[in-house]
Parts: sequence; C-alpha cells; structure tokens
Amino acid sequence: MAALTPGSTGLRRALVPLGYPCPVPSDLLLEVQGLSKAYDGVHALEGVGLQIRPGEVHGLVGENGAGKSTLIKILAGNVVPDSGSVGMAGAGLNLGSVQASLDAGISVIYQELVAFLDLDAVENVFVGREIRRFGIILDRARMRERTSQVFQRLGVGVPLNVPLCDLSVAQRQLVAIARALETECRLLVMDEPTASLSNREVEVLLATVERLKTEGVSVLYVSHRLDEIVRICDSVTVLRDGRVVETMPASSVTRERLIVSMVGRQIAAQSQSAANAPGTVVLEVRGLGRDGAFEDVSFSVRAGEIVGLGGLVGAGRTEVARAIFGLDRIDSGQVLVGGRDVTNRGVLAAVASGVALVPEDRQHEGLVLPLSVKDNLLMAARERLARRGWIQRRAERTKGDELSTRLMVKAASLDVPVRSLSGGNQQKVVIGKWLAMAPRALIMDEPTRGVDVGAKEEVHSLVTRLAAEGAAVLLVSSDLPELLELSDRILVMCEGRVSGELARGEASEEALMALAVHREERAVS
Amino acid sequence: MKAFLGRFRQEAVLLVLLAAFVAVAWRLDPTFLTPKVQGTLVKLVLELAVIALPVTLIVITGGIDLSVGASMSLAAVAFGLAAERGTPWPLAAVCALVAGALAGMLNGWIVSRARIHPLIVTLATMSAYFGLAEGISRARPISGFDPAFQSLVAGPLMFFVLALAAAGAALWLSRTVKGQAVFAIGLNEKAARFSAIDVDKIKFWLYTLAGTAAAVAAVSYAARRNTVKADIGHGMELDVVTAIVLGGTSITGGRGTIGGSLLGILIVHEVRQFVSWHWERDEINLIVIGGLLILALVANSAFGKKTDSA
Repeated sequence: MAALTPGSTGLRRALVPLGYPCPVPSDLLLEVQGLSKAYDGVHALEGVGLQIRPGEVHGLVGENGAGKSTLIKILAGNVVPDSGSVGMAGAGLNLGSVQASLDAGISVIYQELVAFLDLDAVENVFVGREIRRFGIILDRARMRERTSQVFQRLGVGVPLNVPLCDLSVAQRQLVAIARALETECRLLVMDEPTASLSNREVEVLLATVERLKTEGVSVLYVSHRLDEIVRICDSVTVLRDGRVVETMPASSVTRERLIVSMVGRQIAAQSQSAANAPGTVVLEVRGLGRDGAFEDVSFSVRAGEIVGLGGLVGAGRTEVARAIFGLDRIDSGQVLVGGRDVTNRGVLAAVASGVALVPEDRQHEGLVLPLSVKDNLLMAARERLARRGWIQRRAERTKGDELSTRLMVKAASLDVPVRSLSGGNQQKVVIGKWLAMAPRALIMDEPTRGVDVGAKEEVHSLVTRLAAEGAAVLLVSSDLPELLELSDRILVMCEGRVSGELARGEASEEALMALAVHREERAVS
Repeated sequence: MKAFLGRFRQEAVLLVLLAAFVAVAWRLDPTFLTPKVQGTLVKLVLELAVIALPVTLIVITGGIDLSVGASMSLAAVAFGLAAERGTPWPLAAVCALVAGALAGMLNGWIVSRARIHPLIVTLATMSAYFGLAEGISRARPISGFDPAFQSLVAGPLMFFVLALAAAGAALWLSRTVKGQAVFAIGLNEKAARFSAIDVDKIKFWLYTLAGTAAAVAAVSYAARRNTVKADIGHGMELDVVTAIVLGGTSITGGRGTIGGSLLGILIVHEVRQFVSWHWERDEINLIVIGGLLILALVANSAFGKKTDSA
C-alpha cells in the first residue's frame, strides 16, 4: 500500500500512507481518560486511563471480568461509556459510533473472528470497500494485487483464492489483519489472538505483530498468555475489577509480577482439599460422543472429588456438560449416575438422579432475570417443597432464607429482581438453585466468569465445601489458576476428545496448555 | 392500599376505561345500556371469555394460539353432525370436546416437539381446522337441537362454568408450581429448561386446554343459537388476542393476569357490540378492533418499559 500513488483508486482514505506520522505535536496515538461504564449498577470500568504511542505494542491483561472486553467494545464504538473520553491522534473520538472508530483508524479483531467463511481472502479483505473500475465493475486484479502486497509486507503466505472456511483459524486471523491494514488502521486491537492457535501458529502471529510495529501501527494486545505479553509488548496495563491497577514498561515486566498485579495477592499454595479421600463413583461417562461436538469421552467422578475439565474454547467441554445434563442428544456412549443409566433421558431424569448444572451463560441459561431472588433460588426445588403442586409460601420463604444465608447472597431482600444483583451474587443464586436439591453430581461450567474477585473466592470455597460434603464436582473452566487450585485432577480436552489427564501434583499451566493444543500441533507437522 | 393498587394497576386502568366507554356509549345511544340489550349480548362474552382463559396462559408462556376460532368451528361442527345423527346431546357435547381437545393436542404437540414458533404453527392449523370443519359439514348450517339442551346450557350454566374456570385459572397461575413456571417460561424459556422445568409438557397441556375451551364455547354457542356452521369461529382469535393484550398480558410473554383478560374481553365485547348496535355496520367493527389491538400493544409496551426500569 505504501507503493500506492495518489489517484490510483477512488478511495479517499487509501491516499494516506500507512503509519502516517501523528498530525499533532503530542507523541500519543491513543489517549483514553476517565472511562467508566456500568451495567445494571455493576461497574465494568471505573475511571480507566490508557495511553498508546505510535508503533507501540501495548499489552492489556486482567482476569476474566476485569473489564478488558468492555474497554475493547468502547474503542470499537460498539458500547457507549457512561463517562470519559478517548482521543485518537490528538482528536477526540466520537464515542459509540463504529464508523467513527474505523475512520479514526481503530480496527478490532475479536476472539471470535467475524469473517465471511464462504468468501476468499481477497473478498474478505475488500468486502464492503471493493475497488471498482468505472464505478461498477469489480477490479478483482487490483484487489488481488493489493491483498498479496499486504501479505508480503507482513511476511506471510496465505492462499488468496480459497474460501476462508478451508483456511486454518490462524490464516483467517491473518486475513483479518490484512483487512485492518487495508483500512488504514493505525491502532489494531487484538483480543486473545492466540487463544486457539497452535504453538507454531502463535510464532507466526507474534512475528506479524513485530512487523506491524516496524510499520508504525500500534497494537493493543489483549491476552491471558502472559509469556506472550512479556515477549512482545513494549508496555503493559493491568486491569482489575474495572480499574487500572498499573501500567508498566516492558523492561520491568515479568510473568510473576503480572500475576500478582492481576490477582491482587499472592496465589495461595494449593493444598487444602487434597486431603479428601474420594468415595464411590457418582458420575461416570463411557465413550460419550455427539456428532460434530465430541467423541469417545470417558471419565468418572467420585463423591467428594473435584475433577477439572480444561481445554481451549471450542474443545467440546461445554458440549459434554450439556449432554450429561440431558440437554443435547448423545449419539454414542453412556452416562451413569450412581450406577443408573440416564443417557438421553432428558434434563428431568438427569436432575431426578441428582445431576445439577451451573451453566456457562448465567444471564440467559442460569437465571430468569426479571424474577425475584427467591423465585430463582427455588426454581428447581419448588416441586419438592410443594404439596400436590400447591406452593407452600412459608416453606419457600424458610428455604430461600436458608439458602441465601448459606451462600452469603448480598441482596436488599429476597423479593428484589435477581437482575439487580451483581454478577457474583447472581452466580451464587444459580448455584443456590441446585443446593436446594442437594445434588450428588454438580457440573459447573465457568462458575466464576465475569465474577469479581471477592465473590470468586466465595464461589471457590463453596465448591470445595460441597465436595467435602460428598458431592462429585465436574469443573469446566478456562481460568487456569482456578482449575489448578480447585481440581483434584484435571482432564484436558482438545478438539472434542480427552487428550490427557493430570494429577494434582503434575498439573501446571504449561502442562495443561500442551495437552490442550497437542493434537492440533501433531496434525500440522 | 398502595400495594393493592400497585398489584391491580392494570385492572384499575381497565375499569376506568370501561367506565369511560360506558359513559360515551350512554351519551350516544341510551338504549344500548338497557338491561334487555345487554342481557342478550352478554351471552357471547361468556364464550369469548372461556377461550381467553387458556389463551392468556399460553401468551404468558410467550406463545400464542390463533387456531382457537377454527377449533371452535371444528368442535361445533362435530357437535352438529353428532346431534344430527340422533346422538343424545350429552354425548354429542362429548364429541365436540374430544374434537376440540384433539385440535389443541396437535398444536401442543407440534409446538413442543418440533419447537416451531406457535404463531406459525397455529396459523397453519387455523387454516387446516377451518377447512376440515367446512369439509365435513359441507359448509352447510346444522340446526334444530334438543330443546332440553338449549334451555339447560344456554341458561346460567355457562356463567357458572366460566366463573369456576376463571377462579381456577387465576388460582392455578398464582399458587401452583406449574403456574409460576408459566411465567418463568415466558421470561426465559432457556433458563426454565436449565432449571428442570418440564417446559414441553406444560406447553402441550396448555394448547390442549385451549382447544378444549374452544369446544366448550362451541357447545354454548350451539345451545344459544340452535344452529352451527363451519364459520362460527371466524375472527374469534382476533377478539381474544386483542382482549388479552388489552388486559395487560405481554405479547412476548412473562406477564399477565386472568382478571386483566376478563376485563379486556368485556371491553372488546362492549365496543364491538356498541359499534354494530349503534351504526349497524359490521365492517367498522373490524377497523375498530384492529385499532384497539394496536393501541393496546403500544400502551402495553410503554407500560412494560416503565415497570422494567422501576
């Protein structure tokens, strides 16, 4: 694109060369000040400031729910903040407009890539901004040439004429980057770009980021992978509970320092729950398979045991949880609860046999938001408290009080809508719904996603306590420290299969990740 | 008192609306409000109301049943054909109830099994049931039923049936586990399923109930008019849905009361009857009812927003 001469296309914005120096004396490309955003009274961001220089790779880290995605969405123009300002190259950015963000040179590549899978790389790069001859005919040759130029500058090879669905995730990501560069992007925001890449693909991506830097493009690099952050970033900003904890230059950044900063404390030594002697097998799955989701999954969970289920997003963990709970059809294999076969018997049978599921999507699957805390707490157990189907108000009130006290739910009263509670307290209500049933096997899918640190601790100790009381717990989590801290052993899934099992002693983030990407790697070589 | 008003706010608004309408009607045409006129007109309202009860429950689950009018026609034709062949009237009435229940079951089965939107399902079955009713009766009127049947069913019996059914529905909705589940389904069906609520079963029986209620209305109609025809249920669904929405039930589900629907029925019915009484023009009625439905929807969404933000 640097080779473009003025007048070569009808695109006005294409005339500005890539990495055009800041038109203002300030040496900042992006300046975010005092950004705040609350959802239903819960602060997602509170007075966040961020500064990025031209050509800088800036890392953004924080635990789940720290506010990273809200910040990204505000930069992309998808979310309007409650207060605060964003300056881009010295000019104020019109917040809440996707077009304004694009015009200002901000491109966002989301973790779940937005792309047209039936179109090829060239078409994806130019979709919506096609180069035309005489205003009508598509100039495919020019578009192709420019796309290949961008890939050359990035130093990568991506087939141009193959539909995206036939390319790997990594290649699709490169197409997205190429598209961003073609829009004269000056700040590229990458959200967990390496979350589903193999080790080798990660190398290519990191090299590409380095290349962007030399081109003068700034990158806001959002990742959980601290090693990558330490490696490629010039400076790092840590978010915790919607606030900026600190911004550090890369020279002072170490992995350990980042963790302490993210978590706000030293991670406690993991020991306490190992003492439990597991009891009899409560939940057992044998050769479980669902077409297109997972296959040949076998494991068992004993009473008092917490078994972690780790892996990358899309590895099939949630699907396994749903299938055990009777939500989705199982195509092969068996689910046994306390020795009883409940395969494909539906949710009601699963619950009757003692299985409970705390679903991944709290707001849509776990709760009925407009209903009261009490109604939500008792949603599953109501039938048991009732007399021939008639609600017993006093018994419900007692049970609701008991549950909310046990879970330490912070709510004005049991009659307020559950919507008005904070994320952490909402999650306690979802868990409480099943405590009322005294489940034998508790499946928890991302139980602390989007939950603040304090409530997270409480959920953790609750899980440990339930296991100590004899429940068999299957814990699905993408939060590696959580998985390592709570699980007695960890099963790792990769592309729909169990790729390995780690005992408490041998489990580490590295070992886990190695198993999580293991098969993909082998397929490449 | 404040809590009472808060709880019955919708009903209070509807009562005021009804009073306002009666005042206007009285000014325009004092004869409309004479007991004699009202007495003859009120019988039709019972039939509408009986159908509106289960349909209200369906709308609270987030569903709808457009086929109730057609089910009513089908049941009426079933009654007529049976009576024509000399079947004693109680048995003919059972035939009608079975026909209505079967029609409702088919709706319920498709909605809960195939998980197709009930709007489409019941639009399709509405057409099918009307066609079926017309086909088996060859579109001719069937008249001349047992006088004993007429005097018994067309009398106060229907009023007692409605009173009992309405009280039962209101109690069921507010005091039973399944009744409360109806609200949960309407507000978030997914979460209801995740909470081991038997969504499919509840839906199936509600649609079956709606078909059965349409059959009860059909039998009442047969007794009152001494004649049935395949088109007697025509337009019933419009009146019923308008009344329910007017009664404060959210068309997207999760909110609604039996009392509101009954008042809604009363208003729709009075308006409709007044228009045809005063102007003697039925086509104006269609426009008026259509307008009323739109107004109710607009008022409802504004009202709903207010309660949501509170």
